[in-house]
Amino acid sequence: MALLDRSAWYNIARSTNWTPKYVPESELFPKDQSDPYGIPTAEWETFDEPYKVSYREYVSVQREKDAGAYSVKAALMRSNYYENADPAYLSLLKMHYGAIALSEYAACQSDARMTRFSKAPSMRNMATFGMLDELRHGQIQLYFPHQLVTLDRQFDWAHEAHHTRNWATLAGRHALDDVMMTRDAMTTSLMLNFAFETGLTNVQMIGLSADAANMGDYTFSNLITSIQSDEARHAQIGTPVIEIMIRNGKKAEAQQAVDVAFWRIWRVFALLTGIPMDYWFPLEKRDRSFKEYMHEFVITQFERQLRDVGLERPWYWEHFLDDIETHHHCQQAGIWSWRNTVWWNPTGGLGPAERDWLEQKYPGWNATHGKYWDVIIDNLRNGRPEKTEAVGMPAICNMCQIPISNKGGTVWKARIYQREYEGRRYNFCTLVCRWVFDTDPVRYKDWDTIVDRMYNGQISPPTAENILRYMGSGVVSKGGRDAHDYAWVKGYDRSPQAAE
Amino acid sequence: MSASKAAVRSKNMAGPLLRGGEIALAACEAIQEDNPDKEIVIEDHRTYMRVEADGGLIIRRKTMEEILGRPFRMQELEVNLTGFSGQIETDEDFMRWYLKLDL
Repeated sequence: MALLDRSAWYNIARSTNWTPKYVPESELFPKDQSDPYGIPTAEWETFDEPYKVSYREYVSVQREKDAGAYSVKAALMRSNYYENADPAYLSLLKMHYGAIALSEYAACQSDARMTRFSKAPSMRNMATFGMLDELRHGQIQLYFPHQLVTLDRQFDWAHEAHHTRNWATLAGRHALDDVMMTRDAMTTSLMLNFAFETGLTNVQMIGLSADAANMGDYTFSNLITSIQSDEARHAQIGTPVIEIMIRNGKKAEAQQAVDVAFWRIWRVFALLTGIPMDYWFPLEKRDRSFKEYMHEFVITQFERQLRDVGLERPWYWEHFLDDIETHHHCQQAGIWSWRNTVWWNPTGGLGPAERDWLEQKYPGWNATHGKYWDVIIDNLRNGRPEKTEAVGMPAICNMCQIPISNKGGTVWKARIYQREYEGRRYNFCTLVCRWVFDTDPVRYKDWDTIVDRMYNGQISPPTAENILRYMGSGVVSKGGRDAHDYAWVKGYDRSPQAAE
Repeated sequence: MSASKAAVRSKNMAGPLLRGGEIALAACEAIQEDNPDKEIVIEDHRTYMRVEADGGLIIRRKTMEEILGRPFRMQELEVNLTGFSGQIETDEDFMRWYLKLDL
């Protein structure tokens, strides 16, 4: 059967706005859900998506993508890869699935909001595909780890993490709820499609795939690049939104939305992507450092796209570049020290050769972050592993929900940025997290960090055992321990000067 | 991949990131054919190939059909298009990656 060319009917199919007769337009498209910026509907009708697809094409392409991902999985299932995999690599998978799988379902709701409430008919079309994409990502990233639950109960967090009050879940959810669950359709698109999906998902879903393939895990490596091929399409929903906003005098508003979302997602993804890349992969399997991937996908590629669509670098760009040298290194040390609170087994992973690699990739690492590990390594080598387990809780940032920390060692940069608001004192890890709060204090003021909950009676009594139970550690599965049972310190026996 | 090429990279690089496979290899070939005046930089990162040129690249359906020896719908490229640099334009007969600003 001869089919019409897409271009022969596409413009008719996407001109689906109508004049409402039964309700006023303000009810059909309420401001809070559709467009708080007050841009005329006729302007939204100029929305021209750069990445066009028809439903027929969509279904056929997605079928092919799924067939590819599931058949690779099926073919490799009998290889016993996961039974024999490095335990630190399995931790990466546990962290990834726990953090991501149900977030994809959340993103599905965000796209559904755009599908229903966008005033731009073409945007509603594209968001429909985005919604189906995210549904696929949720399902496939639950299905893949499901076979691993029998191998290790910690894989059950793929499904459970978002239903717990684990601190890592709270941090991820706070950021994602902010950028994609609690915004109108237009702002969601700026924050989710543009800042998040054009910017940071590439490092996790493409960069990490190279490392995963080096580990021989083609199932996972193939899965995440397949997912990212959906993202590359629906991320393009954001570009025309930015163009229309700039044309209608709303550049400052678009810029702020992108700046807030980029920072919020960065703070979480640095843990998710940065820590495994720079600490957990065996040295010989590392493709490049996290910083190098950030340069490729964000500092070069995303920054260029940002300027091309008419926006500027976020005002905090220099702080962000500093944070690439700092944040995930601090959190690797912190998470490892509080390892029984998480659902994966982090490795310290710091033998002499690994330290040399870090020093080369992040000059000054030994004199700063390394000083913390000197103490840990000394304790482990002298039979005092209990001294490497942190007690109590750290100060937590009232924005990113991540422990407040900064470079230590020979330079001491750690400090808390505070803000008083309506009689309550808020603590922030950085100027930028405090700035995010200042953009909309009412939105953020009532949230309690995990530490606030210990002091205000939500976790009662706040005993170590009870806090762990509150976070689901020891409930869903056992909490984390060192993935290699400290085997990585043995390297110092052979190389005494390196342990100095 | 070549470090020296990366060092002289212009600020106006745009092009596709392709996953491995038959279509991706054909696409690389087609891109070379469809952009004869460009110096194309291909970085092979094993799970993805970064294919870029100063000012961007185009790939045409006709060229893909010649290389594959079968009918090809431009949309099929999406299966292997895991990302891209610059902006994108899609059409039934081509896909194009470009930048509006010349920096």
